[in-house]
Amino acid sequence: MAILEAQSLTKRFGPVQAVDGVDLTVGEGEITGLLGPNGAGKSTTLHMLLGLVTPDSGRVSMFGLDLQRHRTEVLSRVNFSASYLGLPGVLHVREVLHSFARLYGLRDPRKRVAEVVELLEIGPLLKRRTSDLSSGQHTRVQLAKALLNDPELLVLDEPTAALDPDAGERIRNLLVSVARETGTALLITSHNMLEVERMCDTIHFLSAGRIVASGSAAELAAHFGVVDLEEVFLKVAREGVPA
Amino acid sequence: MTAIAFEAHSTRARRRRIAGVVYRDLAAMRRSPIRVFEILFWPVIELVVWGYVTLFLQANKVPFVVSMLLGAVLLWQVLHRASNEVAIGFLEDVWSRNLINLHVTPVTPGEYVTGLILFSLIKIAGGLAVMVTLAYVLYGFGLFSVGIGLIPFMAVLLVLGWALALVAISSVLRFGEGAQVIAWSLVFVFQPVAGVFYPVSVLPEALQWLASAVPASHVFEGMRAVLGGAPVPWDTLALAAGLDVVYVAVALWLYTATLRHARSKGRLSRFGE
Repeated sequence: MAILEAQSLTKRFGPVQAVDGVDLTVGEGEITGLLGPNGAGKSTTLHMLLGLVTPDSGRVSMFGLDLQRHRTEVLSRVNFSASYLGLPGVLHVREVLHSFARLYGLRDPRKRVAEVVELLEIGPLLKRRTSDLSSGQHTRVQLAKALLNDPELLVLDEPTAALDPDAGERIRNLLVSVARETGTALLITSHNMLEVERMCDTIHFLSAGRIVASGSAAELAAHFGVVDLEEVFLKVAREGVPA
Repeated sequence: MTAIAFEAHSTRARRRRIAGVVYRDLAAMRRSPIRVFEILFWPVIELVVWGYVTLFLQANKVPFVVSMLLGAVLLWQVLHRASNEVAIGFLEDVWSRNLINLHVTPVTPGEYVTGLILFSLIKIAGGLAVMVTLAYVLYGFGLFSVGIGLIPFMAVLLVLGWALALVAISSVLRFGEGAQVIAWSLVFVFQPVAGVFYPVSVLPEALQWLASAVPASHVFEGMRAVLGGAPVPWDTLALAAGLDVVYVAVALWLYTATLRHARSKGRLSRFGE
């Protein structure tokens, strides 16, 4: 069953066509990667899927519900984490999680906060101000926040950008196990090709606002006649897409 | 629907989400003593300065001056804080780059603003309690001498302050963080024509017309009348309440329109950068 269906999404900012006719489907438990060079339209696409940016045309539906018309219901089943987002700096981690647990309308915020704290292994951080966290710790707290409502779709913009290889690997394993065990669908952007290759079932390449290629990492490499995703990325970014 | 959450449109879910906004702001206040200090510092300074001015004027046989000026200072603080506290609650989300996190939650704009308003009430009540006590201890002025009229006077000012806060928030959404100066200063645009410290009748005729369209002017005129021994001017208060409804309607329209515009132009996304 499709969790997310986006049809013909377009967005123009002044002279720039940021997104140009993007179609996207994400199924239950599926891990989908959105790749592309800077300015390809990845973040704008994600923000349209989250209702932060209104498309000029096209339609986003999740769980069979139109996002524009059923915003509250849809967003209660989705979550988002991005390395560039902040959290209220004066609050302790525990308070941040408790406030977001309430913002998502959870029945038992205390219980759910305890669960995600254990899952992300952030117990020692609970009494620390978010402004005092390292970027790696901050990422883990953002991910804890993103898992609070047990989302059916988790949108992640550069989820491990600030993590060292060890922490990054553990977070990747965690996210994959969340997707496989709970059926949560993941939609990820990343510049870490190895990460995308390891995690994603389906990868969409964006260039100049369009999806120019889709498939698994192996399919894309074969399609472009190269050995891995990194080379696919370089080929698309530098040479454009072969006709 | 995830089983761990209330049904998104249920009353319990709405209450829980509003509580989330209040909880967050309460926790932030608790963690930041400087914020508590700031709530009390400026109102107390204003009260002390104006209090001694009034004592000086009283010594020079200016009638009714103590109660009228101190009453004005206290009620002005209600309007000022109502406007500023709600706007600052929003700005704190902008400053901490948390606005996107909030806008991807199921919290509706109405629930968010309701949470900010409820929290502002807590802060205003705390600040006012200190000021009222000080006014009584230092100058022997009891705000409750205004009588039953105090309730509608304060209600009109609170609602006007919240409407102004929505306009300030809309300005930041429309023009970006640089427009935050509006959050601090918008309420002062109304001060000259609100007749806070002087009767509206001293204004030029054109400004008197303008003043009649400002709900606060009817409150401060009414307060002076009551402290001068007249009954509560319910008819004028009804007019002020009617004006409040218009201000709130315009502010809500502006807020929803600028939010829609911010989503359309991608400005909301940029608050995360």
